[in-house]
Amino acid sequence: MDRIEDSGTLFEEDDHRAAFIFNAGHPPTTSTQKPTPRPAKRRKVLAQADASGRAHQVSPAELAFPPLFNGAEGPDAVRLRKHLFETAWPVLEDRIQNILRDANRNTLDEVTSFLQRASEAETGKITAGFIITGPSIASQHLLFEQLGEHLCTATRARFVRLRASEAPNLKAVLKKVIRDASASGSDGEEDGDVEVSQGGRKYLDYDLEALHVSLLQQQQSPRVVIAFQDSEAFEGGLLADLIALFHSWRDRIQFDLLFGVATSVELFQARLLKSTARQLYGAQFNVVQADSVLESVIKTAVAGSQAALRIGPSLLQSWVDRQKDQVAGIQVFISALKYAYMCHFYANPLSVLLARDGRLDRPLLQPEHIEAVRTLDSFKAQAEAAVEARQLSHAQSLLQDDDYLVVQILEQSQKRSEYLLRLLRSLHLVAATGLTSTSFTDLYILALSSGIDIDQSSGTVPLEDAVKRLGPDEFLSLIDRLLMAVQTGSPELGLDAWESEADEFVGSLTDLRDEVDGLRERSKGNGALLKSKYSAQSRVLRTTVVAQKVQLSQDSATLTDEDKAFTKAVDSLLGLLSQTLNCGPIDDLFLHEAWVLDSKSPYQDVFVPRPGGTFGRALSRPHDYLACACCAKANGGMASTLPTTAILYHLYLEAGALINVADLWSAYYALVGDEAEPGLDERSALACFYRGLAELRMMGFVKPSKKKADHVAKLKWLF
Amino acid sequence: MARKKTAGEATVLRPSRKREPPVDPYEAPDETETPRRRRRLETTGPADGNMEESRNSVTEDAHPAVKTTPAKRRGRPPKSAAAGTPNAQATTPSAKRQRPLAETPVRLNRIDTPSRRNIADRSARRKSARALIDRVIGGAVSDEEVEEGDIAREIYESSEDEEAEEGEEGLDGQAEAQEPITPSKPPGRKRRAPTRKRSPTPPRDLPPHEQYFYQNKPGLAKTSNNTLSSLDLLTHDEYFSVLRQLKDPHAADVNFLQNLHAESFAQWAFELSQGFSTCLYGYGSKRRLLHNFAAYLSSQNSHRKIVIINGYVRTLTARDILSTLTAALPSTLTSNTSSSGGLNPSTTLQNLLTHLSTTTTSPPGGGLTILINSIDSPSLRKPALQSLLSRLASAGAAHPQIHLACTADTPDFPLLWDAGQRASFAFLFHDCTTFAPLAPCELDVVDEVHELLGRRARRAGGKEGVAFVLRSLPENARALFRLLVGEVLVAMEEGEGAAGQGGGGEEEVAVEYRMVYNKAVEEFICSSEMAFRTLLKEFHDHQIINSHKDSIGTELLSLPFRKEELESILEDLMS
Repeated sequence: MDRIEDSGTLFEEDDHRAAFIFNAGHPPTTSTQKPTPRPAKRRKVLAQADASGRAHQVSPAELAFPPLFNGAEGPDAVRLRKHLFETAWPVLEDRIQNILRDANRNTLDEVTSFLQRASEAETGKITAGFIITGPSIASQHLLFEQLGEHLCTATRARFVRLRASEAPNLKAVLKKVIRDASASGSDGEEDGDVEVSQGGRKYLDYDLEALHVSLLQQQQSPRVVIAFQDSEAFEGGLLADLIALFHSWRDRIQFDLLFGVATSVELFQARLLKSTARQLYGAQFNVVQADSVLESVIKTAVAGSQAALRIGPSLLQSWVDRQKDQVAGIQVFISALKYAYMCHFYANPLSVLLARDGRLDRPLLQPEHIEAVRTLDSFKAQAEAAVEARQLSHAQSLLQDDDYLVVQILEQSQKRSEYLLRLLRSLHLVAATGLTSTSFTDLYILALSSGIDIDQSSGTVPLEDAVKRLGPDEFLSLIDRLLMAVQTGSPELGLDAWESEADEFVGSLTDLRDEVDGLRERSKGNGALLKSKYSAQSRVLRTTVVAQKVQLSQDSATLTDEDKAFTKAVDSLLGLLSQTLNCGPIDDLFLHEAWVLDSKSPYQDVFVPRPGGTFGRALSRPHDYLACACCAKANGGMASTLPTTAILYHLYLEAGALINVADLWSAYYALVGDEAEPGLDERSALACFYRGLAELRMMGFVKPSKKKADHVAKLKWLF
Repeated sequence: MARKKTAGEATVLRPSRKREPPVDPYEAPDETETPRRRRRLETTGPADGNMEESRNSVTEDAHPAVKTTPAKRRGRPPKSAAAGTPNAQATTPSAKRQRPLAETPVRLNRIDTPSRRNIADRSARRKSARALIDRVIGGAVSDEEVEEGDIAREIYESSEDEEAEEGEEGLDGQAEAQEPITPSKPPGRKRRAPTRKRSPTPPRDLPPHEQYFYQNKPGLAKTSNNTLSSLDLLTHDEYFSVLRQLKDPHAADVNFLQNLHAESFAQWAFELSQGFSTCLYGYGSKRRLLHNFAAYLSSQNSHRKIVIINGYVRTLTARDILSTLTAALPSTLTSNTSSSGGLNPSTTLQNLLTHLSTTTTSPPGGGLTILINSIDSPSLRKPALQSLLSRLASAGAAHPQIHLACTADTPDFPLLWDAGQRASFAFLFHDCTTFAPLAPCELDVVDEVHELLGRRARRAGGKEGVAFVLRSLPENARALFRLLVGEVLVAMEEGEGAAGQGGGGEEEVAVEYRMVYNKAVEEFICSSEMAFRTLLKEFHDHQIINSHKDSIGTELLSLPFRKEELESILEDLMS
């Protein structure tokens, strides 16, 4: 407390400065505004701040994770966690970036080829590409960045990106265009923003002549591509002026325009003058839908075998929902994923169990680790299962023998990869059957939460009926698809082909295929259609009209021998599939806590905060935060010991739309005045009252009202 | 007989209200509303009981009713008792005719125009009164008509209730219906529907949106007329001297909370290093917390420059931010941009960013950390500044040269950013409720409260400030201000004369721009409108004048001072 008071007096002079360079006292910084007459004191403060800020010893050079287990975690384990994070995340990040880039590739190619074609065709107009980006302005950034790179290499044009916020008026736009266009490609030669001079003549920095000259000097193609990222945000008049200006410069500099359009080209055109629109020669391009991008990101980075950390089903579901409900953009999803990795490796001591290549060994696991493992739910489930299976010695060793447990723990790594492989293969095969309309994301979430089972009535992925209803041709193509899936694997999911490992499965499939193929040939020879018990309408409803009366009669279609054999084949395929496409939910696994993150709590608070609720809670129940003895009794109600603003907040909640400050004051004073417990005299109470009222106003709860004297208006009802 | 007696008593109450204006001929016509309203409220109080039955046969009771009237009226001189005779009653029609005429303009000045609902009610009441009259005149009463009559009466009486509660109904409808209604009472009628009663206590546990509509019902905003005039408001000096002696009983807990948050420093630093920005929100000052965080960061990595931006400083501009950032960077850039540093902010920012992107491989850790106090403060709320900050932050996401952490003080801060900006900030939000009191530099408590109360303390010390400003202005500016003060004072006098005392309170009095200009020309203060504008501009700059347009577009000028202040200013100017 003293320390804070002390430092308070210290940096007071900085408080009134709008912006300053923080000077901690020790190594001299470039800011020399202050001669620092009190270095001694400063150093002392800092040392104290250090001592209280972090109780542990970390070398200041590297930004290390703090040790967990109340600081008892060994430095090796801490380093291992950090190392795991640093190896796990960048791999994924690269892959995600690749996906995003690939997603835009088509658009990029189209735009580039259009610009090239247009430059060859003599239209006498300005070439304009309209890129329909969709409503998420957050994802435009990457697209235009890529466009810039792509166009620079493909057409050797200068690329200038404009955003409405940077371009308030014509002059500013021109300045930016000239600076960017003449700067790119010739770094260092000139600073870009200063005027270009030639033969003693100087150009104003918004004169396009300057750009012309500089392009001539550099002997490059006089071609400049200008991209308006958020064209809707530009003023219509400004756009019209720019287009007219660029058009008039066409004979000297070739301008091509690109517009990012969030709504539709028609709306965009409606904002332009007809004469302006006539100067454009345009084409429209669509960007890949956000949904499909999201799906491939999930496939690669969340579900794929590369992902070290598994995102649990409920957390993943909430992310996906947020993408759909709020137009959040894929960047938000990626941030959330990254933050999940950060959380896991930063705060979960058991994340060291993810280590591979023998980096995880016996000495690394401290007693605390083992203790932590024994508190896990999955450990409990494991032990109970062992007891129920009458493996009492196993259960006892789990509970008592540390070394035995460590062996078990080390074995889990293998089991984890087996489980994941099985899960992904099953999912891949399910997707390959093409019999389910569920999207991969939903399928994956479902599989994690409740496993995969194709049983019709109880299963999570009810494929049974669909398989039964297959005709012979579909049956054959299904088997082909399955075989193909096994043979190629899935590069998106990071699955290699596993033909060699699944001899039995492949063998059975091939046998079935051959058999059904033969059956089909035979029944074709017989002139009958091959059908199974399930697919054929085995009972045909016959309608006969006899003497003007309709007679319904059921007729059991007879199944030929081939049909019976086919039915058998369908049954055996079903058996095969239900045996292969089978996988338990993820939280059945022992030690899944070490590699699955399924808690929404940090994510919700950190990405989707509810500040209104937080402020409301702080003010209505200060005890929740302060944990002071005096306010414990209030329990969300009013008490004279509450902080002033909290008392005023309670009164505020009770008040109507218009609040009489005089009454508010008397109510407040009656509560805290002389008779009450703190017993403030009038002037001190008034000072507190002032402070509380000012804070309420600063937080936007009240505003001045002119309706009556000394009244304020309420502004907040919803928190 | 007992029934008769109660009826008699009750009738006393009602006519005493009804006939009150004519009954007292000495009543001043411009009597203020309040006493009458109070009386009305009092009368309705006991009337709740069996006043229902009162009207059954008023014709018989009329006489005793009138007689007892004065007895019920408290504090009236006995003279009025004499007036309460049938003689006085004879004056009723004339009073009836005059009353509304005399009343209407006064009323309009004092009360808000009647809401649409009131008007509708009144017309319904008029109609129902007419229906009742017709029925009485027609004589024959069938069963159906009785029912109809019930509805009509209910309408009529419900509005009476409201009138009694709100006390601000127009008298005209009442006067119209007054006479004929009395005899028409059918005996023993239960009249007041209990549902019509409005409870004075608000309904509890309404959801917030219902609460909003409930509290914003027209006519519901009833607050007392108390003002703070009896209270000696605090001055800056007194506030601080009192505050210095005050001991916060929660200081230890606040400190504890602070230390609790301080334990997250390592986590925040990690998040910053991963390309996220952190945003600390919650009730209480987070300035100290951020400062300690800065100390922590610099102890971790002394090569990183840390720039602190105090958003709460009201004069903060983009240039302040950029020049500090530029100064914090290695000298190569400083020398480079010093020539063009005076250019517009976007150019400087561009240079800054290009510099950062070209020096990615500078010595490890040699980056820039930006800490912003109160990112949602009024001076930082401008979109241009937020987009500048978001560009800085997105540069940080691209290559970890720039880290950004900020604090937010209001509950509505997420509204500052659109989706694009928020994505480029890549915020992680942390609840950092500190309960620490806001420092004087963050919040000017006294000014803030006075501004809230319409006392306007920020204007350079009120009257003294004006004198100071005017001393530095030319003679004709002073003359113009004198003219303006005079006009406003005249307008205030007139306004008060028209509105009666104690009306709308601190209504700001404004004078027409045109009128002031014409007078200024007449007095040779200025010769052209241009010059006039220039003079006004000076006043605007010092915030000693306000101008706004009214609903029909007339430009109005007003002075942000109270009457007493204006008077003393005028005295100073005249001397």
